[in-house]
Amino acid sequence: MVLFLAAPTLLAAGSGGSEHVAVTLLSEAASVRPGEPFTVGLRMKMAPGWHTYWKNPGDAGLPLRIEWDLPEGFRGGEIEWPTPSRFETGSLVSYGYTGEVLVPVAITPPARVGADSARIAGTFRWLECEDVCLQGEASLELTLPILPESPAPSADAPAFEASRARLPRLSREWRFSAEAGPRAIALSFRSPDGSTPRRATFYVDRALVLEAAAPQGFATTGEVSRMTFTAAANAPAPPARLTGVLVLEGLPNAPASVAVQVDVPVSPGDPAPAPPPSAGTSGRTAALAAAGVAVLFLVTLALRRQTPRRRPFRRESGNREG
Amino acid sequence: MRRLVTAVSILAWSVALAVPSTVQAVAVVGKPAPAFSLRDTDGKTVRLDSFKGKVVVLEWTNYGCPFVKKHYGSGNMQALQKKYMDQGVVWLSICSSAKGKQGNMSESEAKAAVAETGAGSRYLLDPKGSVGKSYGAKTTPHMFVIDASGKVVYAGAIDDKPSTDPADVPKAKNYVADAVDAVLGGQPIEVAATPSYGCSVKY
Repeated sequence: MVLFLAAPTLLAAGSGGSEHVAVTLLSEAASVRPGEPFTVGLRMKMAPGWHTYWKNPGDAGLPLRIEWDLPEGFRGGEIEWPTPSRFETGSLVSYGYTGEVLVPVAITPPARVGADSARIAGTFRWLECEDVCLQGEASLELTLPILPESPAPSADAPAFEASRARLPRLSREWRFSAEAGPRAIALSFRSPDGSTPRRATFYVDRALVLEAAAPQGFATTGEVSRMTFTAAANAPAPPARLTGVLVLEGLPNAPASVAVQVDVPVSPGDPAPAPPPSAGTSGRTAALAAAGVAVLFLVTLALRRQTPRRRPFRRESGNREG
Repeated sequence: MRRLVTAVSILAWSVALAVPSTVQAVAVVGKPAPAFSLRDTDGKTVRLDSFKGKVVVLEWTNYGCPFVKKHYGSGNMQALQKKYMDQGVVWLSICSSAKGKQGNMSESEAKAAVAETGAGSRYLLDPKGSVGKSYGAKTTPHMFVIDASGKVVYAGAIDDKPSTDPADVPKAKNYVADAVDAVLGGQPIEVAATPSYGCSVKY
């Protein structure tokens, strides 16, 4: 183990991984043209039941971290995070990926490259969790030829196309507004054609803003949908901006699930919490609450019936009332 | 009587309707720390309110979690416990792992495991997770500092290096040490809340 940590580059290859996550470093382009950014990506294949994390992992977990080892003058960009899903473990909620995900990153080569190939290498560290969590790590590399012409797509290019479909959309046509108050933080939105979704989930991308496990309220009035959230218990102050990804399901004339990037200033106010949706796990809570209310109703009826029979006690105590 | 019945049913109905929307009480900086009593590895009951007048550190733990291993394997957690317990601070390590989940131990198993780590803190068992949930403990570790008046003054991560790598320990800014130093020295706490990092608490 110590040897492995001391000399990771000796073991570097295109693929690697841990017991539960297989990883491969891929390039979208078959070659590199000096000065022209290209995209590489880490493909992560999770064993059934295991997940890895989004940039904001939610209540627990850690996002993927990359330490690049690139040729001189090459620059590694920000990770482009595909839209996550939500995991409930006990009473906690985290955000991340199951199955397979390709995490793209742009690499910018310098305008002049004095070599005929470029070795793109990096150390990738992630946390993988099922019920328990393990640290995963791999040192991976790939080598691409440097060519003066515009690069041809590599054999893995279709995987990048599929991955882009999972990135949240940046759209100016969606209208957003946000408000924060003592009872809730609210996000209102209108889709470009005014249609409304059946379901909405908001993934805030920073920690200590919203409680990940609190139910999200959702209500629609005309063409405007409104979501409400619970502020994080120890949030230092109301957020100045609300940033993250909004996932919408059941929009007419749209794919089953649409993800939109949200970055909106938050104005002070006192928005009222919207009701949580009555589907999925919150449906179970609602059913339990309904059952409880039904029991109480019956108890109330029973108590009311018993009332006249208890009257003699009142007479004995001389407490007469009409 | 009818009035009583009406009053009871109004009360019951309002409880029934209020419960689903009630947000769980959690440890909030600036507010009183939620009261609790838990058993330690000797089966003795430990009550938080018996430490009034002392600074208390609560550390959520799970010995099977790689983030906890980072801080115990490097000796960081034990060193912090010793340093502050020597200054009169009470340090309680709480395990909220449910029965059958990672980190859950019987009193005797926990006693042996604690002895092996060399931890100086008192180890408390919360297998039902009720104390963990009442604090909003999400990760292991998740740290809380309570001042002598019983108020929460810090909630969050142990330090600013969210990783499982013990090599990060010496480079890290330790939020708990900073908070305890400040509260012992009567100084304001610079960073009172941070996002905790680690494995999820195994409720």
